Amino acid sequence: MDNECLLACAVGVPVAGAFLMPLVGRASKTVRNLLSLILITVPLGASIALIPTVLAGKTVYISAAMPLGFNISLAADGLAVFMAIVSSFISAVIALYSFDYIDHYENQDEYYLMIVLFLGSMMGICYSANLIPLYIFWELTALSSWRLIGFFREEHFVKRADKAFLTTVFGALLMLLGFIMIGQQAGSFELAVIRDKLAAEPVSAVAAGLVIAGILAKSATLPFHTWLPDAGVAPSPVTALLHAAVLVKIGVYAYARIFVATIAAGAFWDQAIPAIALASTLVSAGAALVETDIKRIIAYSTVSQIGFIFLGLSSGTELGVTGALLFILMHGIAKAGLFLSAGIIEQKTHVRDITKLGGLVKTMPVTAVSFLLCAFSVMGIPPFGGFFSKYMVITGALSGGRTALAIAFAACGFLTIVYLFRLFNAVFLKEAPSQEILVKEGSHTMVFSIAMLAVLSVAGGLLVSYPAEFGLEAVKQIMGLVK
Amino acid sequence: MPTLLIILPLALLLILNLPLLRAARRVSFWLCAVLALAQVVATATHMGGLIPDLGAAFDPYIVLQLRMTGLSEVVLLAIGIVVLASLFTARAMIADHDERFKFGNLVILAMMGLNGTALLADLISLYVFIEITAVSSFILIAFDRDSDGLEGSFKYIILSAVATAALLASIALFMMVSPDTSFAAVRAALAVSQHSFYVNLAAGLLLCGLFVKGGLVPFHWWLPDAYSSAPAPASVLLAGIITKVSGIYALIVVSTSILTVGGAAGEVIMVLGIVSAIAGALLALGQRDMKRMLAYSSVSQVGYIMLGLGSGTALGVAGAVFHFFNHAIFKSLLFVNAAAVEGSLGTRDMDRMGGIASKMPVTGVTSIIGFFSAAGIPPLAGFWSKVMIIIALWQAGHQTASVVAVLVGVLTLAYFLSMQRRVFFGRLREGLGEIREARMSILVPAVSLALITVAAGLFFKPVFSKIIMPVGEMLVK
Repeated sequence: MDNECLLACAVGVPVAGAFLMPLVGRASKTVRNLLSLILITVPLGASIALIPTVLAGKTVYISAAMPLGFNISLAADGLAVFMAIVSSFISAVIALYSFDYIDHYENQDEYYLMIVLFLGSMMGICYSANLIPLYIFWELTALSSWRLIGFFREEHFVKRADKAFLTTVFGALLMLLGFIMIGQQAGSFELAVIRDKLAAEPVSAVAAGLVIAGILAKSATLPFHTWLPDAGVAPSPVTALLHAAVLVKIGVYAYARIFVATIAAGAFWDQAIPAIALASTLVSAGAALVETDIKRIIAYSTVSQIGFIFLGLSSGTELGVTGALLFILMHGIAKAGLFLSAGIIEQKTHVRDITKLGGLVKTMPVTAVSFLLCAFSVMGIPPFGGFFSKYMVITGALSGGRTALAIAFAACGFLTIVYLFRLFNAVFLKEAPSQEILVKEGSHTMVFSIAMLAVLSVAGGLLVSYPAEFGLEAVKQIMGLVK
Repeated sequence: MPTLLIILPLALLLILNLPLLRAARRVSFWLCAVLALAQVVATATHMGGLIPDLGAAFDPYIVLQLRMTGLSEVVLLAIGIVVLASLFTARAMIADHDERFKFGNLVILAMMGLNGTALLADLISLYVFIEITAVSSFILIAFDRDSDGLEGSFKYIILSAVATAALLASIALFMMVSPDTSFAAVRAALAVSQHSFYVNLAAGLLLCGLFVKGGLVPFHWWLPDAYSSAPAPASVLLAGIITKVSGIYALIVVSTSILTVGGAAGEVIMVLGIVSAIAGALLALGQRDMKRMLAYSSVSQVGYIMLGLGSGTALGVAGAVFHFFNHAIFKSLLFVNAAAVEGSLGTRDMDRMGGIASKMPVTGVTSIIGFFSAAGIPPLAGFWSKVMIIIALWQAGHQTASVVAVLVGVLTLAYFLSMQRRVFFGRLREGLGEIREARMSILVPAVSLALITVAAGLFFKPVFSKIIMPVGEMLVK
């Protein structure tokens, strides 16, 4: 298959195939589950097959002309391929975990439809080379997460699903306004054209601000962060998929794509973004310290870690941006592991309040160890994957001349260690408040999924040079284009 | 063909009511449906330039000035589709044969009035056909002969009388400067005496009359009563097409063929559009009655159409026409869904529903499609028309209006989400375990309308370049 075809498959197969799920689901559950896994691994395989081309410095580009410059254009460069591989890989693990987790609930057909559609839209966002399809796929992820968060259909769950939908769509509409302003200024929505046209004349701070508002809403950063912990009512694989591993990274990715690879955000936002990121990191780390709901703690931790990614992206140094990309990878793997472990605990004990949990290390040794390994990675303990990314992000900020910020973020890194140890202690180590809480491990598939993520967190650190080199190539590619 | 579109409904109406043909009453539903379907097929193929003009033979005998433009094609297509949807809903909701026969008669009468409105290029005949439609809809609203229906109908009659007076007065004033009432003659006369007080008064009265008919804020208050008290199939017709053609289409055609958009009229339209879009959405947020919420949503969506029209650019007017069509489709769809829910539960109070998508999956899924299109979620049709309007406003220098149009999208999403949460999405409410999916004759229009919405969105490229944009360019010369 040639590269153009691979690229089209990476986006088209999951988006179109998602709508087969309800049909196939009527015939056979097993076939449907397997098909969903295949539909998620197709973009993974296609993206991996694109690696040699993009490492050679080439960009694969396809485009379907549409009126008003709304061309459906897709382009694969290093950044896009990196992000696509990370998100489709994590999604594949999560889909595998869902087979058992979701097995005894209603509305499974809808679940798999939305999961695959979500992943397809995510691929669309990664590969979009035009602002309009970027926006379209952006909204598609919002609507699939609406259905997924409200999966259990309880009234206050649906309310929180509505809240997530409204917040992200509010941001997306602001972003659309920003896109229109940028499009008017450049005379095109094509990213490549915008990059050439606006190299000399920067966009107005208002246009950049509108786009950034959309990004912050999606990536659950202050002041739009509250929907993310609330969305923890979703089934655990969904929280892992949407809120730890993939959805919130969309915002970060869009920032990299638009403000690192295409245009400059302007002096005001270059200063403001790290400040917002710091505030977001601090506030949510504080919230994670006092929360008692296991999933809300992890969700706040996500909000907190997203700030590090913004710090790296806004540093303007190759090191910082590469660190941010690595951070997306490492945090995605480790945080998915944490959420999925929480899912096993929640499903087995039916308890999410950490004050009512304890002692699970005895009965759930594999889950406990996997949880701890993933937590080490999120904390940034060497030699786990998370250490290198956090180190690179902070060093990137330092070499960009932002000493005070770097120190503040290092302090936030310490807070991460505190609240994650508190969580681990409360769930696994401290004495169990009652005997009935001590339950057995989850199903083999589920435990295998989290063990795999834990092993990857370790491997990500030991073999960090491979993703780091690829990330560096991608960053050189995009940053070379801007300057 | 334009002639046939008026003659055939009239002929069918007469034939069905011949005293000798009582037997025809039993098949009246199918005759009406075939006629509406023929209109859909004929208009769609006419758009493609596939069929010759069959009615040309009648043309010499018709005194009306009929013209078939790209705009009328779009409107006629929408009329045919919504009439079909309404007829099928009536088949499910009205059990009695005689009642159904009467309903069919009224629908055909309304269809004739709507077709005439869509085809005429003359103010006084436009007025006559708007009145034909109005008379039919007065009766349709009060079709059940209950007090709510009579109240809604009465309100509509009173406000229609005001609108009628305004329209007639403005026509009389135009006659002072114009040799006849054809659009071209009035436009030419206005170009000569454009600063005269009477001419401006006439234009103002004309616009006001049509604002009332279209239910724009501040003339909107008859609309929720009329929509919610009308029987379900009648509210599909009213909300989907009657107020849209006799108010909104007439506004589009009058402001582009007689007045010049972009001038003072454009500003008035723009301001009312902004106010309607915001107020309609805010009022919709507070409703408990499913049909009232949809009615206020109509007020808000009509505001979007006005914004596109008021922008005065080809893109904006094209967006307005496209949104007109999309709104006819998705709002009929949502009213068909409301009919299905009302038919199964016997109530329209959303606080007494919950989670019924699990029992009524087809209704649930199609309602989501209608809602996404209305809320402008890509890639459905409503997204494209809204984006066209927003971009047109921005390009025409109306940045504030553009921002309003974008932000009302959040409000739209909010009230539709609240409807979804209270009616479809969620746990099944206790006591609703027995409800069943609606009958096939409601599901058929629901699924068809949903498919049209999806198709118009997915095939945006040909729809835009072959149909919509040429209409916009024709209207804004």
